[in-house]
Amino acid sequence: MNELAILTKAMLQERKDIVMAILGGFIAGIAGVCLFATSGYLISQTVFAPPLYSLIVLTSLVKILGLVRAAARYAERLYTHRATFSMLSRLRTAFFAKLVPLTPGVLNQKRSGDLLSRIVGDIESLQHYFLRVAYPPVIVVMVFLATVLFTSAFSIWIACLFILGMLAAAFVVPAIVMLGQRKNHGRVREQRSALSTEVTELLYGFRDLKVYGQLQQRGEQLESASAALTAEQQAAARHLLRGQSLHVFVTFLISWSVLTLGALLIVEGSLAGVFLAMLVMISQTVFEEAAALATLPAYKQDSEHAAKRLEETVRAADVLAEQPSGKLPAGQAVSIELSGVSFQYEDEWRPALKDVSLHIPSGSKTAIVGPSGSGKTTILELLLKLRTPAEGQIRFNTTSIQELDEAGLWQAANVVLQHSHFFRGTLRDNLLLKEEAHSDEALSAILNKVQLPDKLLDDMVYEKGENLSEGEKQRLALARVMLRTGRLWLLDEPTSSLDYITEQRVLRHLLAQAADDTLILISHRLTGLEAMDQILVMDHGQVIEAGSYSDLMKQKGYFYEMKQIELQMIEGS
Amino acid sequence: MKRRTGLISEYMSTQRKRRALLAGFSLALGAAITCQAVLLAEAVNKIFVERVSVSSAAVILGLLLAVMAARTLLSYGNGLIGLHMAADAMATMRARVLRKMTQASVPSSLRGQTGSKVSVALDAVDEADSYFSQYMPRMMEAAVIPVLILIVIFTQHSNSGWILLCTAPFIPVFMILVGLQTKNKAEEKFAQLAGFSGTFLDSLQGLVSLKLFGLARRQQQEIERSSLGYRDATMGILRIAFTNTFMLESIVMLGLGIIALELALQLLVFKSLSFHTAFLILLLVPEFFNLLKNTGTAFHSGRTSMGALRKVEEMLAEATEESAAAEQPEAYEGGLHRMPPTIELRNIRFQYAPGMFGLSVGSLSIQPGEQIAIAGKSGAGKTTLLHLIAGLLKPAAGEVLVNGRQQTQIEETSWFEHVSYITQHPYIFAGTLADNIALGAGRNVSRAEVVQAAEAAGLASVVAELEQGYDTLVGEGGRGLSGGEKQRLALARAFLKHPSVILFDEPTVGLDLHTERILQRSIAELAGQATMITVAHRLYTIRQADRILFMDKGEILDCGSHDELLERLPQYAEMVKAGKGEQHE
Repeated sequence: MNELAILTKAMLQERKDIVMAILGGFIAGIAGVCLFATSGYLISQTVFAPPLYSLIVLTSLVKILGLVRAAARYAERLYTHRATFSMLSRLRTAFFAKLVPLTPGVLNQKRSGDLLSRIVGDIESLQHYFLRVAYPPVIVVMVFLATVLFTSAFSIWIACLFILGMLAAAFVVPAIVMLGQRKNHGRVREQRSALSTEVTELLYGFRDLKVYGQLQQRGEQLESASAALTAEQQAAARHLLRGQSLHVFVTFLISWSVLTLGALLIVEGSLAGVFLAMLVMISQTVFEEAAALATLPAYKQDSEHAAKRLEETVRAADVLAEQPSGKLPAGQAVSIELSGVSFQYEDEWRPALKDVSLHIPSGSKTAIVGPSGSGKTTILELLLKLRTPAEGQIRFNTTSIQELDEAGLWQAANVVLQHSHFFRGTLRDNLLLKEEAHSDEALSAILNKVQLPDKLLDDMVYEKGENLSEGEKQRLALARVMLRTGRLWLLDEPTSSLDYITEQRVLRHLLAQAADDTLILISHRLTGLEAMDQILVMDHGQVIEAGSYSDLMKQKGYFYEMKQIELQMIEGS
Repeated sequence: MKRRTGLISEYMSTQRKRRALLAGFSLALGAAITCQAVLLAEAVNKIFVERVSVSSAAVILGLLLAVMAARTLLSYGNGLIGLHMAADAMATMRARVLRKMTQASVPSSLRGQTGSKVSVALDAVDEADSYFSQYMPRMMEAAVIPVLILIVIFTQHSNSGWILLCTAPFIPVFMILVGLQTKNKAEEKFAQLAGFSGTFLDSLQGLVSLKLFGLARRQQQEIERSSLGYRDATMGILRIAFTNTFMLESIVMLGLGIIALELALQLLVFKSLSFHTAFLILLLVPEFFNLLKNTGTAFHSGRTSMGALRKVEEMLAEATEESAAAEQPEAYEGGLHRMPPTIELRNIRFQYAPGMFGLSVGSLSIQPGEQIAIAGKSGAGKTTLLHLIAGLLKPAAGEVLVNGRQQTQIEETSWFEHVSYITQHPYIFAGTLADNIALGAGRNVSRAEVVQAAEAAGLASVVAELEQGYDTLVGEGGRGLSGGEKQRLALARAFLKHPSVILFDEPTVGLDLHTERILQRSIAELAGQATMITVAHRLYTIRQADRILFMDKGEILDCGSHDELLERLPQYAEMVKAGKGEQHE
């Protein structure tokens, strides 16, 4: 149950709506029971030929109760749904807040998309928790207790019978439904994800499969997986149906028992016959109200599953260490030192960095090059304290990175990642992320520098920068950091989508601005690196060559050969 | 009520027996419901009015219990029939969707998002379930049972029957009103909700940059704000729906109240009614209204299902036109042996879609064992031409001849037995490394053969690093391979196959040096006994080729050796120069 703590908290915050909902639900339930009780009593009364006015009163009561019930239902629906939506919003926000300090640690690089969409789905499936798991029993119990209390005024035995029946409806029937269901539920899920994976593989690898003549065989595999899924789904559905039918039968059985017991009691003289019809009608209504109990376990299981997965994701957030207070010296370029640094991503089988040692003097310009997957970006992530090295030391000047406050580090660094985030708003909003004061003229000048002279500050940017081309996004991201005052530049392939000429112009402005600063540029290209003080060549998580452009070309080593291959590339935009 | 979609009527025609069974069960269920009410009323009448002893009412009580059990079983049976129909329908539908997927042509397999296709095969088919498992049985019950109840009530007391007949039509009318008013808007809202989830997802994905700029807090507020805004908008729509439901329930209650009043008056004032009849009617009326209300719920889920079914239908229809166009050729070897074939292209024209990029190629003949490089700007149609030669795309006009025989006349499997296609992004399937390599052979191969192919492709050093060697799981859920390793795996597949035709899409990105060297060496080795057609991105490859096809805007501008083209085609010279040009900048 611990997993649902986050839900309980969210529910507590909506207590006003929840109380209103419970009130509405209770009134609606009670009104329903009273309605049928009254009509049963009314009919029975007529046998004794009562005065007409009492009859009028009773029939009016029936009508009023009916309207009260409908109105209370209306309120119940309104408040439960409002509470649910509010909770969902709270859950999202709370979860986002918990995830912030954990990024990017929890999100493994490759599967982050999967994980994230799962998180979104899980939060959504939690919305059923209140509506179908937490709420119904409250109403059922309240209405039922009131009914039992009322019934006990007429016959304690029939009240006992009700309790017996409710125990059966609330525990025995769901238990029978759950019997085997737990196993079953898991199997459907498994089969479903297996089929989904296989279909995805078929579509992604379609061309390869076709050329290798494997389509037929794969298709047959898919069909048998699909048949297995259908069989499991049907088994699960049959289970649920059995539960519902059982509940209906329990309802019937109780009515029947009330009738039989009532008959005995009437003969015995301990119950007035006029109440018999009323009690039978009450028994039917009150158990109908409890129908939600039959499907409750399935939803409960679903919610718990989702909550558990979410909890697992953010568990580390609770034990997050206090941030140290160390800061980088302000207004001063730093030197960087890595000694014996190794790092391995959680789900990867080989280290991303193996025993990397390097020195970057303050105020120097360093380029890191190498094939994709060689560990270039990982170095940047370690420098930004986004990840912690498994081994080795990272120092800024003489301070170990462990002693630095991460927010302070980010404040001091001008960072462009491979994928920059843009949000809905004007260009100006997207440039001025911090409350920094810049005149429009200064902003326009920066836009000129990054070769976007035609953009206006009031131009709209869509969510995720959807209306911008990759090249525009990269230039805007550069403009954004060029407005900042940090003295440490960390740039991850910032110009990979630009053509050569534009790239050189933008970089020239950038290097001019960073003339006295420490700068690390991860580059996808080997051209234009002549101006760098140092080039680090990486392969398989190791720095295999280091030196200036002319040194490396003279060495005729790895860099030289990469350069030769690049020269072979045609249409190299 | 609603036009049935083709799939449903098609499926329903195969389900006559089950539908008849459903109708029979519903009729029996109706009888059970009325019997239950009659017996209950009779029992109460005997005990309360006639005051007979319990033992003499025992028969009625026993009968009542039996009828109750029968009613439960009958409604369970109806549900089961629905489940069976749903299971059958889903199985056939999913099988058809999957079959269309495997039989689709390459362009249609590339069209559209993979995610949405998977969702049709799984989610849409699942959603269709409730049409058969809920809608059909409920509708059948609603068509039979209320009529039965109405008949019973009319025979007992026609006044109550008339009241029911007057109030009952309001229920479907209001149900449909609720549906019409909210359905569209609700769908819109659901789309928005999906979009909203998307925003949340985006925020999570952009979290690193947000964090670096110290903006996480602001984004959190944004999420909360838009989330609450969404809530308020949705509540507006739900309020309409709830108000309508309120009206509906009021009508039901009013009907019940009027009948109660009428019964009371008849009993008391006119004395024209017995207690037994009055109580029976009072028991039957809620059953009657409940059944009608169920119809509304079933109608709603039925409509949702139909929407999902339409998605499935669209997908099936799309695939049909293509498979209909492709006539099944006879199994003919086409003179394909281990010897490289002659490949001829004759006035080929191709277009992905009207108004889109088109390709037209005149006559071209590729000799056995020839090395061809296709060069040109990106978007010139290089890969399309490669696909046409491979037979992965069917030309709209003209023909591809293999050894003088039309390629469309050669059975696909026997043609592909002799072709290897090394793409830029070879797909790695979930399975062991050995399985992934063996895929190339398309037959059972020994471990020794796999090892040999892996060695030739320079994969041996990678395998040596792995604890489980060739039995290591790779692909989805397994170990990740780098781009260079994937390329080498594709090469190993080709080595295992001994193809007589090699199609090669040269990598545009820089791989690690080791892979680059292996690529050049191994490709040369493979090309020794085969015709090779390369979409070339490296000058080296172009120089090595016997002939270069230079493409521009979907046409082959010229064809010849490097030196010839350099001399007579300025665009070619320009391209070569631009490649080199960068170093002098």
